[in-house]
Amino acid sequence: MTKKTKPTGQAPHNGRASGGADAGRALPAPAEQFTPQIETEIAGVRFQNPVWTASGTFGYGREFAHLIDLNQLGAICVKGISPEPMEGNPPPRIYETASGMLNAIGLQNVGAKRFLSEKLPFLRTLQARTVVNVFAYSTEDYVRCIETLNEGEGIAAYELNISCPNTRCGGIVYGSDPRLTEEVVAASKRAARYPLFVKLSPNVTDIVMFARVAEAAGADALSLVNTFVGMAIDVETRTPRISNVTAGLSGPGIKPVALRMVYQAARAVKIPIIGLGGIASAEDALEFLIAGARAVQVGTANFYDPGTSPRIVDGIRDYCRRKRLHLADLVGSLKVPATRA
Amino acid sequence: MLAESWNRVPPALPIGRYTNARSSVSIVAMYDDMVAVIENRPLTGGHFLLSLDAPRQAPAVRPGQFAMVRILGRSDVLLRRPMSIFDVTAKEGRDGGPRRARAPRILKLLYKVVGRGTRLMAELQPRDKVGLLAPLGHGFFEEEYLPRAHESDEILHVAGGIGIAALLLPAKRLAEAGFRQRLFFGARTKDDLVGVQDFKPLVCATLSATEDGSAGYRGFVTRPLEEYLTKHTDQKFLLMVCGPWAMLRATVELAKRFRHPCLVSMENRMGCGLGVCLGCCIRVEGEGHEAYQRVCTEGPVFWAEKVVWETERKLGIRD
Repeated sequence: MTKKTKPTGQAPHNGRASGGADAGRALPAPAEQFTPQIETEIAGVRFQNPVWTASGTFGYGREFAHLIDLNQLGAICVKGISPEPMEGNPPPRIYETASGMLNAIGLQNVGAKRFLSEKLPFLRTLQARTVVNVFAYSTEDYVRCIETLNEGEGIAAYELNISCPNTRCGGIVYGSDPRLTEEVVAASKRAARYPLFVKLSPNVTDIVMFARVAEAAGADALSLVNTFVGMAIDVETRTPRISNVTAGLSGPGIKPVALRMVYQAARAVKIPIIGLGGIASAEDALEFLIAGARAVQVGTANFYDPGTSPRIVDGIRDYCRRKRLHLADLVGSLKVPATRA
Repeated sequence: MLAESWNRVPPALPIGRYTNARSSVSIVAMYDDMVAVIENRPLTGGHFLLSLDAPRQAPAVRPGQFAMVRILGRSDVLLRRPMSIFDVTAKEGRDGGPRRARAPRILKLLYKVVGRGTRLMAELQPRDKVGLLAPLGHGFFEEEYLPRAHESDEILHVAGGIGIAALLLPAKRLAEAGFRQRLFFGARTKDDLVGVQDFKPLVCATLSATEDGSAGYRGFVTRPLEEYLTKHTDQKFLLMVCGPWAMLRATVELAKRFRHPCLVSMENRMGCGLGVCLGCCIRVEGEGHEAYQRVCTEGPVFWAEKVVWETERKLGIRD
C-alpha cells in the first residue's frame, strides 16, 4: 500500500496537529505516523517498556501510587528481600554529596514471607512487572530466600543482589570474589523458578571478568551497577557522616562510570544487560540503551523527583519516533569510530 | 510503678482515614507540584518565613505534618529538604485587605539557614518556583491525642529553636477547641526566638529561655519547664515537643519523671519523605525490622515512650 493522505486508524494526537506545511513537504511520513516499539524482552519475559525503578529507591511500589501512574513503568524492582526480616543500620544512614548521595541503610526489609503476603498481591495488580531483589549472607540463605519466594505468583524475575556495600560480611563479598560469584549464582539459578538477573558491584577492578563469571554460572541477565563505596567526614566533630563509616554512592555523579561499565559488559557477554547508575532523564536512559543495555533502572532520582520514570518512558518513545527507530534497533547502536572499535 | 502507667500507649481510636500513616503504607493525600514563592521574608537570626502558593497542598495539611522542598535547577543539591509546615492560610485580599473565608491556599515554612540547601532557599524571590511535596507524615493527629488532651488541665508546647515551626498548627487547632495552652520556648539567643508572636493569641503564657540570657531565662528551656512542673504537681499536662535531639531527650525525661504524656516531633536527614529510602529511620521500641521506624512516615510525631532515647549519637542534621 502506498502512502496516501493522513492515516485514519490512528488515535488522534493531542497538542500540535501536523499542519499543511508538513503535508506539503516531500519527506518521509510525519513522525506521528511511526509508532515505535519500545517493549523489551529479557530472558523470555516481556516488559512493556525498558524503564524500571531500581531496588531500594521505590519501596514496594505502593508508596508512589498516588504520585505517579505505576502502570506506565516497565518493571518495579522491589527493595532487597532477605530470608528473614532485617533491622538495618543505625542512623545516620544517608548524606548528600555533590550530585549524589551516600547511603548505608543496611537492607532493612520485611523478609521473604511477609513480602509474599503483604506486598506482592498489590504488585501483581500492576501492568509493571515485579522484579524481586534477593539478598542474603550465605549461599544457603540466598537459596533459602529464593525457595521461599518461588511460592509467590506473579514474579517476573529475581535480581540477585551480590553487591550491597553496606552490610557486614555479606553482599559485596560475593560480588567482589569471582569464585563466590560463580558459587552463589549457580546455586541460586538451580533453585530459581523465575529468571535470574544478577546485580553486579562496580567496586571491582575488572567488571568484564565478573560479567563473564556470572554469565557462565547461569545468569539470565545482568544489572549493573550497584552503588560505589564511598564516605564523607564531618570535620567539626571528626566523625563519619554515616554510622556505617563507608556507604554506597549513587546519583547523577556516578553516571559516566556506570555507563562505561555497561558498555564494557555489553560487549563481553551475550546475555542482556540492564543499565543503571545516576539516570535522571530520558537522555541519560538513552545513553545506557545505546551503550548496550536492553533496559534501564531509575534509582536515586525517584527520591527527589518521583515523576522521573514516567517522563523517561515518554522521552524514549518520543526519541524513537523522531529517529524512526524501534527500541531493538537502538540497543547497542553506539557508533564508535573505526580506529577505536 | 511509674513506668507502668507512663508506658501505656493510648487505646486504639476509631480508625480515621489518616491513621494508616502508621502502617507500612501511607495513603495520606500528598501532592508534588512546582509552586510559586509568594514571599520569602527574612526574620532575625538567619531565619526566614517562606510563603508558597500551594492550592493543592495547603487544604490537605494537618497539624504536625511536613513538606519536602526541592530547589530547582541545581544538580549539586539533589535531595529535597524536609521542613515543618508552620502555617496554612487563605489568600490575602488585594491591598492587604481582609482575608476572605476561602480554602487555605498559602503554605508557610519557617526555616533557619544552616547549610547548603537552606542557603539556596534564602535566595528565593517572589515568583520563583520550588518543588513542593506535601503534606507528608503522621502529625499531631487528634485521633490519637485528644483523649489525653481532655484529661489534661493544660497543654504544654515545648519548642527548641526552629522546632517552634512544628507547633503552631497544633496550637491553633487546640485553641479553636478551647484548650488552655502554654508555650515554653528555648533558643540560643534572642534573635532565635522567632514565630513567638503567632502563639500570643493561642496560649495563656509564653516562657522563653535563651542560652546566652539575652531574653527570658538564662539556660535551657527545660529549666523553666522543670520549675513549672514542680510547682504544679497536682495538675495534668499533655506535652507537645519539637527541637534538637538533646533538648527532646531532656524534655522527655522530665515528662517521664512527672508522669505526663508527651508527644515529640522528630527530625532527621531525609532522602525522599515518602517512606521508601529508609534514610530517616530512628531507633524505636521493637525488634527485628520493627526496631527502626521512619520519621517521614510513622513520624515525625511519636509518643515519647516509643522512641529509644539512650543513644548519644548526634543525628548530624545540620548540613
